Amino acid sequence: MQPVVLIITVLAMAAIAAVFAWAIWAPPGAVDPERAERWRIRTIVALTLAGVVLAAMTLVPWPHAPQAGPTPGIVVHARGYQWYWELDRDTVPAGTPVTFLASTADVTHGFGVADPQGRLLFQVQVIPGYVSRVDWTFDRPGTYRVICLEYCGIAHHEMMGQLTVQPGV
Amino acid sequence: MLAALVFLLLMVFGLLMRAAQGGLVALAPDLFYRILTVHGAGMVGTAGLSGAAIMWFFVNRHVPLSHAVYVAFLALFLAGVVSILGAVFAGGFAGAWTFLYPLPAVSGGAWDPLAAVVFLLGYVAIGVGFLLLHLDIGRALISAWGSIPRALGWPLVFGRGGEAPPPTVIAAMAVTIFNTIGIVVGAAVLISSIVNLVFPGFAVDALLAKNMIYFFGHVFINASIYMAVIAVYEIVPEYTGMPWKATRLFAATWSVVLLFVMAVYPHHLLQDVPLPGWTMVVGQVLSYYSGIPVIAVTAWSLLVYLRRAQSLAWDLPLALLVLGVAGWSAGVVPAVIDAIVAVNRVMHNTLWVPGHFHTYLLLGEVAMAFGFLLRLAAGERFRSFTGFDRTALVLYLAGGIGLVLTFLISGAASIPRRFAVHLPDWQPLALIGAVAASLTVAGALLVVLRALSSPRAREAA
Ligand code: HEM
Ligand SMILES: [Cu+2]
Ligand SMILES: [Cu+2]
Repeated sequence: MQPVVLIITVLAMAAIAAVFAWAIWAPPGAVDPERAERWRIRTIVALTLAGVVLAAMTLVPWPHAPQAGPTPGIVVHARGYQWYWELDRDTVPAGTPVTFLASTADVTHGFGVADPQGRLLFQVQVIPGYVSRVDWTFDRPGTYRVICLEYCGIAHHEMMGQLTVQPGV
Repeated sequence: MLAALVFLLLMVFGLLMRAAQGGLVALAPDLFYRILTVHGAGMVGTAGLSGAAIMWFFVNRHVPLSHAVYVAFLALFLAGVVSILGAVFAGGFAGAWTFLYPLPAVSGGAWDPLAAVVFLLGYVAIGVGFLLLHLDIGRALISAWGSIPRALGWPLVFGRGGEAPPPTVIAAMAVTIFNTIGIVVGAAVLISSIVNLVFPGFAVDALLAKNMIYFFGHVFINASIYMAVIAVYEIVPEYTGMPWKATRLFAATWSVVLLFVMAVYPHHLLQDVPLPGWTMVVGQVLSYYSGIPVIAVTAWSLLVYLRRAQSLAWDLPLALLVLGVAGWSAGVVPAVIDAIVAVNRVMHNTLWVPGHFHTYLLLGEVAMAFGFLLRLAAGERFRSFTGFDRTALVLYLAGGIGLVLTFLISGAASIPRRFAVHLPDWQPLALIGAVAASLTVAGALLVVLRALSSPRAREAA
């Protein structure tokens, strides 16, 4: 997902920059203020409608796991400490649903898992007094990296662990 | 002026951090995080300071404000800066500008609770100063326009006619309302954190505290941009010869912004899954709709005014003000995209986030503040766009674009933010970022020199 997001973002930013550049450098021409107002209103209406479509496309289905309810597959408890992760199992099979239940012993941490290429798959905030649940099915075996994605003190960057995904049965 | 020098110094700190992440300079992690804390708190505070100075200056042209309150505001700000610097550099505090509860009290032995108390008290001092300033501005606007709704231009919005207040008045009234609310919530969580530091038995719900911190932080930093844009409303007409008119759409937009700024903060908590899902829907949807006023109202009007102007005498202040609006508009894009829950899941707390906010702060708010400063220092128009001015602008802009692009690319490559030490794979991007950062610093230095050498530099101080 990340490369697509980056490309869309940079293109949209470049488009905005291009409009500014045009307004500044294009040879002066007559601008009809009333016409500009009409187009402004049309733009606002179009952006408003586009927002509804975007929300529908990105919010259904709901991107987060239900926080309560049955856990279909394997359960992994992850606990954050300043400054290491403790997982009650560090090996899971590919192709089987895994439910992570993340909690913390001290301050807020961020439980994140990156694939063997280093690309982040998901993350969730881990807040004192709460348990955060993520459901994920790994499709490829390999060594995944568990990292901390909330600043938790001066060794925050050292809070890395591993999770091995074995070929499924 | 003071604000500009602080910006410059903190930019050097930023450069230092990026160079450290690139492996170019060796910074011990605890020192890195202390510098990160000072850079974050200092930049947010200075953005607020420069925005407030702009707002105060122009509101004072419409209705008389109290000079004593302004002096008290500056004095409290200075007191806050001193205690923050003391807490960080003498006390070792490195809890980041967001002081996320309970980190200030639970540092793993890195700093003394006293240092955290001093840091938080510094925030309280700055917050009290802002409250005084906003109360004075609110008082003056209400007494001149009769009521809050009138100062917000509601008679115009609801078609009951009457004369529209100037854009500055509408903007200042709206900012005053939401920033006051933001600061009061901030004060509540600051005081709770301080009490918790002194009496550890007094515990606060960490999720509630986080909501309050991000409500305050989001409102405060947004307020700085919404205050700075007043400089655009007031100064650009001097060049175009056309006053910036408060239309019905303009007034209505500001009232919408007033609500959105406060309601949109859950976009900082999209991975806090214990929260109810509807808060995330609100965060995502309102983030998108918050971008429309920036692009379709402010930027649109600016561009129409520029196109309509018969002959524009471009100079450095005007160029910086226009750049500020462009940077703000462009920064909306990565911000809105990151506020999509599904995207946020893989971008939150990566370098994507500094990528988006440096766009609308470094290339937005700070550009506007620099433009205002130069305009003030010059006393009149610069009359010409010298080679020196062009060099300053090009360095600042090119460096700024390079810095934010390397942040965004790093975020898309899943490189976390706030990491003192970067893995070898991640370092090349940090190095390119550091090179870009040095261009920006050079550009900012030239802007500051230009202001210092201007005829009215001393008054603008
Ligand atoms: C030359 C200009 C600048 C450079 C090189 C720079 C660099 C940096 C770097 C390297 C970080 C840390 C990124 C990380 O999380 O690893 C950072 C964070 C930050 N910067 Fe800047 N910056 C610059 C200008 C600014 C300006 C003008 C502002 C605001 C007005 C600003 C506000 C912030 C804030 C709020 C943070 C977040 C601190 C935190 O994560 O706690 N920066 N900057
Ligand atoms: Cu951490
Ligand atoms: Cu925000």
